[in-house]
Amino acid sequence: MKYKKITPWLFLIPTLLGLIFFRLGPMLAAGLASFTRWNVFSPPEWIGFGNYIELFNSGTFQMILKNTFIFSGLFVPGVMAAALFLALLVNNKLRGMTFFRGLFYLPVITSVVSVGVIWSWILSPRFGLLYQLVNKFFDIARLPSFLGQPEYALYTLIFVYVWKMAGYQMILFLAGLQNIPQVYYEAATIDGASIWQKFRYITLPLLTPTTFFVLIISIIMSLKTFELTYIMTQGGPNYASTTLIYSIYVNAFKHFRMGFASAMSYILFIIVAVFTYLNFKFKKRWVHYSE
Amino acid sequence: MSLGRKIIIYTILIAISLTTLFPFLWMVSSSFKTMGEIFSLTPSFIPDNIFAEGMWDNYKAILQEYNFLRFIFNSFVVAGLAALGQLFTCSLGGFAFARMEFRFKEVIFALMLATMMMPIQVTIIPEYFIMLKLNWYNTYLPLIVPSMLIGSFGTFLLRSTFENMPSSMEEAAFIDGVSDWQMFYMVFLPNAKPALASLFIIAFMNNWNALLRPVIYIDKPDLYTITMGLAMFKGNYGTQWHLLLAGSVLSILPLLVVYMSMQKYFVRGMLTTGTKG
Repeated sequence: MKYKKITPWLFLIPTLLGLIFFRLGPMLAAGLASFTRWNVFSPPEWIGFGNYIELFNSGTFQMILKNTFIFSGLFVPGVMAAALFLALLVNNKLRGMTFFRGLFYLPVITSVVSVGVIWSWILSPRFGLLYQLVNKFFDIARLPSFLGQPEYALYTLIFVYVWKMAGYQMILFLAGLQNIPQVYYEAATIDGASIWQKFRYITLPLLTPTTFFVLIISIIMSLKTFELTYIMTQGGPNYASTTLIYSIYVNAFKHFRMGFASAMSYILFIIVAVFTYLNFKFKKRWVHYSE
Repeated sequence: MSLGRKIIIYTILIAISLTTLFPFLWMVSSSFKTMGEIFSLTPSFIPDNIFAEGMWDNYKAILQEYNFLRFIFNSFVVAGLAALGQLFTCSLGGFAFARMEFRFKEVIFALMLATMMMPIQVTIIPEYFIMLKLNWYNTYLPLIVPSMLIGSFGTFLLRSTFENMPSSMEEAAFIDGVSDWQMFYMVFLPNAKPALASLFIIAFMNNWNALLRPVIYIDKPDLYTITMGLAMFKGNYGTQWHLLLAGSVLSILPLLVVYMSMQKYFVRGMLTTGTKG
């Protein structure tokens, strides 16, 4: 009673094709390409660490790295705090919670492009919804241009992305919350614990594995944010909202500096690899933790 | 729970719901307005022309003059085929990982999981040259083929689905003398319908919303997907908010319908991507 020896390999043909030609192969190739000077029109030329040296000596690249860190550094705590708050709210056993869960999840399923369109319009100077409403209710002469001014553009993107994605992390937290046995809360209630004490001494510690997982997911999500930048600011004004992932696109497909862009994609590769590794490593530990 | 607490919770919930819904609702309302009305200094939520002459003008214009009807069709083709392809790839792969023993099984599975979180920007440059070599530029193939062959999440989802099915099912079928393909297709696959539905919806949504590959591989306007069409429209006619918002509504609508009718599968799928991925 066994499967034929060849069957698993036949079944895995599509998976292996994908893994080799669209994941492992290109990852390897991008690594090699990062050591070359290469545009689409002439063959690649080996220049060793030339691209990396150029990158780290470039003021623009330092700014891009800084933007990337600011984006992740604010998006991650922002989205996690918002999501945990939402999850705690919809975890209450009250009428209509499924409805609210579905509603808070709505921005997650809408495309980033349309979310970008909506918010670009709300925030567009002078005629945008925000400006009209503010002018209607308060007598403020002029609001800044949130997308057009370099000091605000990046933070605006972060805000919009938190607004869009919080529902996703909410669902993850919710699953974690529902795994916490009710008896702990009942016992604490009998002992006269306050809501805050229950949160601090039961919910938070028992939620740690979920929290760590959501942290990793959020970090990687923040590093992947391309579409929103593309639709809302195109990385501007003047690189003010350009992050690593957006810069790869611009250098590869606008400037056709394939080698240079590959070097950037390798830096991204290393960052993501570190977090993927941390995720695997700690996930093993949780199994012991929860058993 | 005390009444006071309930009131507080509902108040907060409603306040957040407004924050979530308001931009969407105002977008829908504005998608019916004329350009002049959008730029009016005294905005109103209800458009002047609602249920009146000219209510659908923006939609007619964006669908016909700006070709959005075609873009929507393109998106259905691309997202639908990519999602179906993923069902094929992932159910076969997931079945092999769940039920069969073979050399390098653990290694292949680990490689798949390890590369799952890698952004496509890391692999996109070599991929671009593969597509050029294959002469797939300006076709739907680059939007469909990589996505249908890389289904790490789906393979993972279906592997655990097949793993959780009883071996008695398998043994009985072996005694009846079914072939390996029949075992997969007629014994196991029909029992995996909920997981397949989740995977289809999520794959469809991801492909519907994708932007990078269309932007890179397509420059024939007839082949634009809806998200790309919308992005291009914003780039070219960025101040025509009445049309842009109508286009944006159209790009959301199909997913919204699917989401409302199949919320259960959506959330379950997302949970599996998250908690087990």
